[in-house]
Amino acid sequence: MIPTSIEEIFLLAAALFVLLAIMMFYRAVAGPTTQDRLLAVNVLGTNTVVILALLAAGLDEPWFLDIALIYALLNFLMAVAISKFTVERGGVL
Amino acid sequence: MSAVAYTLVVFILLAAVATALFRDVLSAIVVFGAYSLGMAILYTYLLAPDVAMTEAAIGAGVTTILLLLTIARTTRPSTDRLFERVHLPAVVVVGAFVLVLFTLLPDMYAVGDPDAPIWGGGVLAETPSVYYVQNTFADTGAQNAVSAVLASYRGFDTFGEAVVVFAAGVAVLLVLKREVFT
Repeated sequence: MIPTSIEEIFLLAAALFVLLAIMMFYRAVAGPTTQDRLLAVNVLGTNTVVILALLAAGLDEPWFLDIALIYALLNFLMAVAISKFTVERGGVL
Repeated sequence: MSAVAYTLVVFILLAAVATALFRDVLSAIVVFGAYSLGMAILYTYLLAPDVAMTEAAIGAGVTTILLLLTIARTTRPSTDRLFERVHLPAVVVVGAFVLVLFTLLPDMYAVGDPDAPIWGGGVLAETPSVYYVQNTFADTGAQNAVSAVLASYRGFDTFGEAVVVFAAGVAVLLVLKREVFT
């Protein structure tokens, strides 16, 4: 499949980023400690924001960027909550 | 379905299976976050940004914190192995359920099919939004088209939702052995 327009290049890049997400998922499953898994999922979250931005450009739907923004904010919240839980054993909020 | 969708589906399947099989609950919660990320991208790709936004807010934020609060009040067994043993009867039941769902698949329109009712194909002469704007008052007598859809066109659906929420509330009160929410 050879991309013929800039939109197709964006979509192809998004597909490659999803492939990277699968590779990162290996670390999320195998990673011996919870910290490894947390870091892997955090990278996956950043990856998601990039994929959503690429989809917004590739499919020409600028409002997808809103979802990317929400994800950027809440992914951080998830990382903080799990970190706090592993350190304090029960303190989440 | 393009390259993005196929790789996404593989990713989501991997994440779901890993979430189900992890023996350590905390690891399962972390991997469930990854599953939610994949679902949000898939919803966005299938042009359902409202669902994707809900998935982003509930899946990444609220669910994780609720599950963490829950396991903070329980004890976790110390684990020697990474994955749970696969429970064969459960696999059979889930497999049968998936088969039933797959038999319904041919009846659905493909994504972007111009004959789908949402684009004005099938039984409707125009797209549903045009139909609702033109006929809501004549059909239901309601001034507000949104209320008409919620309470009249899909009234049984809304009724079912209300029953589910009511049953969930009663169940929570029963479990907590209380009579009112305080």
